Amino acid sequence: MKTLTTPRPPAAAAPAPVTPRRRRRPARRAAVWILVGPYTVFLVVFGLAPAGYALWTSFVDNGSFTGGHDWVTVLEDYRLGDAAANVATYLLLWLPILLLTVLSLAFTLHARPGRTTSALQLVYYLPGAVTGSAAALLWLFMVSPDSSPFSPLLKLLDVHSATEALSGGSVIAVLTVMGVAVHAGGWIVVLYGALNALPKDVLEAAQVDGASAWRTMWHIKLPMVRTYVAFVLISSFASGSQVFVEPSVLSTGAPGQISPTWSVNQLAYTYATQDGDFGKAAALSLAMLAVGVLAAWIVITRTRMYATDSSDSR
Amino acid sequence: MTALSRGARALFLLGAAVFFGLPLLWLLLAPTRTADDLTTGSPLGFGSLGNVGDAWSHLTSYNDGQITLWIGNSIIYAAASVAISLLLCVPAGYALAKHDFAGRRALLTLSIVTMILPPAALVLPLYLEMSALDLTGTVWSVILPLSFYPFGVYLAFLHFQANLPDSLLDAGRVDGASELRLFWSVAVPLARPAIALIAFFGFVRCWTDFFLPFVMLSDDRTFTLQLGLMSLLQSTGAVNNSSGFADLDIHQPEAALAGLVACAPLLIGFVLAQRFLRTGLLAGAEKG
Repeated sequence: MKTLTTPRPPAAAAPAPVTPRRRRRPARRAAVWILVGPYTVFLVVFGLAPAGYALWTSFVDNGSFTGGHDWVTVLEDYRLGDAAANVATYLLLWLPILLLTVLSLAFTLHARPGRTTSALQLVYYLPGAVTGSAAALLWLFMVSPDSSPFSPLLKLLDVHSATEALSGGSVIAVLTVMGVAVHAGGWIVVLYGALNALPKDVLEAAQVDGASAWRTMWHIKLPMVRTYVAFVLISSFASGSQVFVEPSVLSTGAPGQISPTWSVNQLAYTYATQDGDFGKAAALSLAMLAVGVLAAWIVITRTRMYATDSSDSR
Repeated sequence: MTALSRGARALFLLGAAVFFGLPLLWLLLAPTRTADDLTTGSPLGFGSLGNVGDAWSHLTSYNDGQITLWIGNSIIYAAASVAISLLLCVPAGYALAKHDFAGRRALLTLSIVTMILPPAALVLPLYLEMSALDLTGTVWSVILPLSFYPFGVYLAFLHFQANLPDSLLDAGRVDGASELRLFWSVAVPLARPAIALIAFFGFVRCWTDFFLPFVMLSDDRTFTLQLGLMSLLQSTGAVNNSSGFADLDIHQPEAALAGLVACAPLLIGFVLAQRFLRTGLLAGAEKG
């Protein structure tokens, strides 16, 4: 389609190509707003307004300006340091292991595609169906030596009960294993798809030149899919930094082992519900929102994974 | 490839399959066994289908059948959110792909930002907004935010952009069809597979969502299955007996069965719709 690949001309540029869809008529403009209007309302009300309202709440209380008081008290809360340290440790452990798992499995599958390839991808992907409280429930069982199919491994690690597995710092290890099991599969499918889309002639040329499978992977395939790798890393960083569900649900299985303010989002939730302090909750959740927006912005501007205009080719 | 490296490769792939597959296999088998057998027997034994029936009747007798209420809630919330989100996403994606209008670029960029943004990042701001509107605790505080589904818009946008030729629309215009008529009679019928894909991913998202309903809902009669599962664990100590309540008939097999029911629609969907799934993931999967 010619009109699909023609870049949109800048407004004041030389003669714009006259195609019917660029001519604006009132009737058509009305139709467009009927089509996008309802969605735009939802975008504003449930996408932008919450952030705007949170900003307002964090600075204004009962109509009077509080001048950043909420922000300061949040920063001074000793629980914030602990929560941030927990989340940072979790990310430092989880992200490298996730990336290594995803890369090694996708590359190994792609080195010799066969009939089992898609079956294996499905097996790796299926745990992605067990999320939220079901995942926490399942992994509570998996770390209970009584019932777990991994009990020999747990004995080796000297874990005698679920409570023990979730006490102190080892909760981070459980979260990491859970996080890898739930999220790796989807990314393996994505990365395998990217590898499959690589130009065949380049890979064949490497083979003809006598490059080993290892060298092909390291020097050809990996550089060619590096934007995908960055995408996996940034997206996982963004979602991991918001961790909330897993520690909250795991703590129900081992009461008293995991602090209710273990992660930053849990602390913000505690402000909002337990303390009823909406100003502090707004300030902290805005800070977390900023982390997410920043990550999204990097993905869009740096990896070019998303077409923001019809002229961008994917 | 040497025999050694081929063996190492197979071993690695199989080891990974055990790590990913074993917990699921255990979850499938656990409801067929009794609580005693689960703790003393071999980890992957098969009990009997009769045990599944027993576990289910224990589950349904919990709080006078609350679990069926939760399943019903989950279905209603997901169905309503998916229906509304389709009504919003498909026309918006079509207009973004096929029309040039003021604010188009901004709308598309904002949609992509909110789509990449982890859903959890907006939950607490949404809670503050809903409290101000006095909507917390109502079903609308869950259904309406979930109906805003920028990933669906993006999928529809990609689909119409790649698969709906302008010439087809122009032909319709020459015949005198209005713009809305073109959308409804030309674009929508041709987009059925894409619409099904959006509905599938939308359903997965609504069904598995935990944080949003957890924050918004407090009355356990309005809970989704995901929330109910947590309150079941909390009040019965099915996983960890130390919390008492041992007189309730909810033990490990019942808890495992409840967990299995909670993820069954997705497990079935993922197995049946593999090709579908791949398409959606490769379109730039939204990660939860």
